[in-house]
Amino acid sequence: MTTKAIEQRFGPYGGRYVPEMLIPALDELTEAYAGLRNDPGFQQELSDLFTTYSGRPTPLTYAANLTRRLGGCKIYLKMEGLNHTGAHKITNALGQGLVARKMGKTRLIAETGAGQHGVATATVAAKLGMACTVFMGQVDIQRQYPNVYAMRLLGAEVVPVTFGTRTLKDAVNAALKHWIEHLDDTHYLIGSALGPAPYPAMVRDFQSVIGREVKTQIMEAEGRLPDSLVACVGGGSNSIGLFAPFVDEPSVRCFGTEAGGTGPKPGENAARFGENPQIGIVQGYKSYFLQNDDGQVQETHSISAGLDYAGIGPELAQLHDEGRIHFSSVLDSEVLEAFKILCREEGIIPALESAHAVARAMQLAPGLPKDHIMVINISGRGDKDIFITAKHLDETRWVEFLKSEVQDIENH
Amino acid sequence: MKTIDQVFATNKKIGLMTHVVAGYPDLAATADLIRLMADSGVDLVEIQIPFSDPLADGPTIMRASQHALDNGITTNDCFRLAEDMANKVDIPLLFMTYGNIPFAMGMERFMRRSAGAGIQGLIIPDLPFDEETDDHLTLAHKAGLKVIQVTSPSTNKKRLEKVCSIAEGFIYSTLKVGITGAGTDIDDQGIAFLNRIRSLTDLPIAAGFGISSPEHVEKLMGKTDMAVIGSHVINLYEKKGPQGVARFLEQCRHVGS
Ligand SMILES: Cc1ncc(COP(=O)(O)O)c(C=O)c1O
Repeated sequence: MTTKAIEQRFGPYGGRYVPEMLIPALDELTEAYAGLRNDPGFQQELSDLFTTYSGRPTPLTYAANLTRRLGGCKIYLKMEGLNHTGAHKITNALGQGLVARKMGKTRLIAETGAGQHGVATATVAAKLGMACTVFMGQVDIQRQYPNVYAMRLLGAEVVPVTFGTRTLKDAVNAALKHWIEHLDDTHYLIGSALGPAPYPAMVRDFQSVIGREVKTQIMEAEGRLPDSLVACVGGGSNSIGLFAPFVDEPSVRCFGTEAGGTGPKPGENAARFGENPQIGIVQGYKSYFLQNDDGQVQETHSISAGLDYAGIGPELAQLHDEGRIHFSSVLDSEVLEAFKILCREEGIIPALESAHAVARAMQLAPGLPKDHIMVINISGRGDKDIFITAKHLDETRWVEFLKSEVQDIENH
Repeated sequence: MKTIDQVFATNKKIGLMTHVVAGYPDLAATADLIRLMADSGVDLVEIQIPFSDPLADGPTIMRASQHALDNGITTNDCFRLAEDMANKVDIPLLFMTYGNIPFAMGMERFMRRSAGAGIQGLIIPDLPFDEETDDHLTLAHKAGLKVIQVTSPSTNKKRLEKVCSIAEGFIYSTLKVGITGAGTDIDDQGIAFLNRIRSLTDLPIAAGFGISSPEHVEKLMGKTDMAVIGSHVINLYEKKGPQGVARFLEQCRHVGS
């Protein structure tokens, strides 16, 4: 573990742009985490939970069929979807959950888009014996219902957010406001590498286990580092987790994939580095945000709820400016195509978020030499997206199935 | 127009500051409301420039902001409103907003334009004094604006001392640790905090969050120089119209005179 101080800023980005009343809570969290970060007992406890509960290390799988099909570089998949609860999100939730418990907090609150982070937080709350409330935009509740059901099963209260865009951005606002009102007993478990300091650094630290494992695994498989890494970027936790341990390795190229949605117009996508990147100060941190000329944060769209967010983690913003991470976006239609291909070629049903990374890799791979090694982060599995993918890919049978289910319920 | 310092120099028992959201329910109504407030004896008005992601606002003000944005209110509209009002009322006007609004315009330009529109001070709750902000404090000074510092009962001693040392005009303290919203009780913790600020500075103090009755204002008399009323005015406006607001403000003013 690193002994560096916890970063407050990443170049000009990051910071703590919050009302004065939140500063003491952020100070308290910073201090608690600074102590635990270098505490071998804490790290051991977390590491035990990783191996005995969440299923780490996750495998690094050689994708022989996809490699053959694309006819370019050698492709490996980092299987974060094999984590307990189905995505990388559990890693950060376990880390912060432990920090919160050490701080004497009894409640966890969270915001969630795809529901993966909400499920992860609800799971950790159940495991650690804490209460849990999850804020989720009404739009996301509709499209990620399987996860809503799971959160409730796990004992969490799911609070629909009905203001603003009714997606992830406003779930964050609702959670921050709730936190302000319940600072004494509550930890706000932010789900991505963003928000006011110390969150971006803390979430990065927890998720960096992804990249560290990849390093070890690829050395075992190939005897050398990969040449490129590809990840999807919502807030940026799976991507920074994969990239961070490689940032100081100049030979490794990092590709971040944003949600291109249905097109380039405002409101059609969530590509912060798209047409006209804009820096702003929103939700407690300085970074790039999709916004209009007045600084009002814009509506976003993506087929995947987990990428449908107007901001991006501050460390990624800095790495973008430094040219260390190459960002681009893929369209919803390309994502669905990549989704189908990964299912058929590799027997892996990826989350729609992760299918963004696959779609980007499909553009890159054919032009790369055969001895080039690429690792794609499969950040989550696709069970949660059944109501979206089935509608697009198997419409008739899906509608028939839903109708018969409703009929069944009504008949009994 | 009176200055902020002049307002606090009068020997009222307690002054009143009210809050409006520019463009709620529409710009003409906001203008009428500001005039009505001045006529009802309000001492200061903070005009909120609506923002899509208002961190410190409770449901009432948030709803009003969103309504204004849905109606297409821009920052330029807010400058025009301020300019118009500065010519029509003789009490100081402040802008209250969030950091991204001045940041998007460019801090310097925002400061100059605010001052040019007759605004005397700014309240920006998510721009702490110690964050990198393109030097908003210096730029505000250059433009002749006072940046009002906001504190809350959770602010620790060291930070409070720092806030007091850089504060100007007056210090705005919340009475509770929470978001804005009408109808909470004013508790001992809030009052104790006002006393703590008082022991650290000679600047006037304004207190708000939750004030919704003349009794609340009375309770604050002797503890603070000014009571701030936000959400309750919006609620009243919605239920009882401008006349309801005027009646309420006169009752509150009565307490202080
Ligand atoms: C499976 C999956 N991948 C990726 C993301 C995107 O988030 P981040 O960029 O923070 O990893 C999410 C968010 O919910 C997710 O559920």
